[in-house]
Amino acid sequence: MNNHLKTLRAERGWSQQHLAEKLEVSRQSVNAIETGRYDPSLPLAFRIAELFELAIEDVFVSPSRG
Amino acid sequence: MQRRNMAQRRYLLRFMPLMVCYALILIGVSAAQRHGAIAGATLGVMSVLPAIPLVGVIIVMGMYLREERDEFIRNRLVMAMLGGTGLLLAATTIWGFLENNGVVGHPPTFLVFPFWCGAMGITQCAMALHSRLTNPAE
Repeated sequence: MNNHLKTLRAERGWSQQHLAEKLEVSRQSVNAIETGRYDPSLPLAFRIAELFELAIEDVFVSPSRG
Repeated sequence: MQRRNMAQRRYLLRFMPLMVCYALILIGVSAAQRHGAIAGATLGVMSVLPAIPLVGVIIVMGMYLREERDEFIRNRLVMAMLGGTGLLLAATTIWGFLENNGVVGHPPTFLVFPFWCGAMGITQCAMALHSRLTNPAE
């Protein structure tokens, strides 16, 4: 699933490790989500969106709208 | 090098003593069998003893899978376990047909768990290699 995680992270000057610590997941998880190799569960996707203070659809691109 | 999370640390704290127990029991049982003729119920109990810590390892692996909070790591572990199970089923199916026709002998069945662990390790290596090739930033 495509997403804007890398851009949002860069805008805040956060490293993958920093974001991972904020989300309480591994850096590999952040990397896998950023590169679209892993689709997060709905609770984790909400946690990511809430961390950036955005709506979920502002972080993740709907596969049907791709 | 990624730091271990709480679930991984708990897994190691449970796994290590079990492996020490396994080694000690195996040494003890082998020594007892060398020194005296053991038979009957004692032999039965002694034969089962080394399996107990290994059954414990299987339980500890299940507990880790349940306790791992990082869903990506948990997903990868489940995929590795499925890969290991697939390799084990394929190998035992092929072996079974070879055995049926007398090409090979009967394998020691206690090797099934170590084989599964090895097959799971091979799957994890393949997954890591695939990630590295498709995503150099990993």
